[in-house]
Amino acid sequence: MAPKKIIQYIAPFSIFIIILLFIYDIWSHGTVDHPGKAGYVANCSQCHGENGEGIKSLVPPLNHSDFAIKNLDSIPCWLKFGLNHPITVGDTLYDQPMYPGNLDEVQISNIINYMNDEYFNLDKHVSPQWVSDRLKGCK
Amino acid sequence: MRFYLFIAISGCLALASCNQTPLTIYGPKTAVQVIKDGQTVTDSIDYTLPNFQFTDQDGNAVDSNTIKGKIFVADFFFTSCPSICPKMMKEMDAVYTKYKSNKDILILSYSIDPVRDSVPRLKKYERKLGFESSKWHLLTGNKDSIYNLADKYLVSAAEDPDAPGGHIHSGNFILVDKHRRIRGYYNGVDEVSVQKLMDDMDVLLQEKE
Repeated sequence: MAPKKIIQYIAPFSIFIIILLFIYDIWSHGTVDHPGKAGYVANCSQCHGENGEGIKSLVPPLNHSDFAIKNLDSIPCWLKFGLNHPITVGDTLYDQPMYPGNLDEVQISNIINYMNDEYFNLDKHVSPQWVSDRLKGCK
Repeated sequence: MRFYLFIAISGCLALASCNQTPLTIYGPKTAVQVIKDGQTVTDSIDYTLPNFQFTDQDGNAVDSNTIKGKIFVADFFFTSCPSICPKMMKEMDAVYTKYKSNKDILILSYSIDPVRDSVPRLKKYERKLGFESSKWHLLTGNKDSIYNLADKYLVSAAEDPDAPGGHIHSGNFILVDKHRRIRGYYNGVDEVSVQKLMDDMDVLLQEKE
């Protein structure tokens, strides 16, 4: 096959690839952030870190799913009213106070769902109604 | 491509090396009359931080002798602070990690809640972060003296029952040179600003006496 012929065959194929790349680019940039991400970044990431890593022994990391699963029912109360007693996550005792966020049920449910997906590896989706039920039981 | 990259990188390096303008000296200058060549002329003296004495997490006195000939970074915090302090501590820890083996550099964190922040409590806080007490002093002492000193650092610190944790304070990191002159203010919760602090510390370390 003459080189000219090869180009003739390859050219349309590469144009096709380029179009595919364009579509992928638009698709990947067009994906919307998790609805809870903005709330997490605004209210939680300062201390718990942008990747949920926490701060040494000062602020607990969020990737301890055991602790999260066990305490999921309390998390709405902590987000709404703060936390003023020590907790043990993993092997570490954390006794820094957590301050209350000025958040409503929808924002709290979005943040919890974000943490479930991103940090707790918990296949559970909570609703604003679930949050307001839990808030009734806050001590 | 590689050529352009080379140009870009060398351009950046050239800018960085030329860009070492001396750091600002903050605070009001004082006018003094001095006699020079038999004539009375007005000269100005740079603003400097006053003497102080506080106690650190080991119970040791930290005073003007401790900082003699040192460049140091100061901030104001309290251990039960729920808002910006954990993040400030994380950023200060980055500064500590970078300069911990540099004998010319110290970090001073003044507690603005010195009544609750006793020596053992500060020690406990140090252990949570895990740093060397001789390089990074957490300070407690007379409350009024600490609040007065915050004024001298030209930053704010106050009790406020409505604020989270009962105190408001500036989240600034303050860079002070070997002559106790303030040379920079940085936002202690902002990584970019704290990176600038470390760049400025490098400039200050190079500064001729």
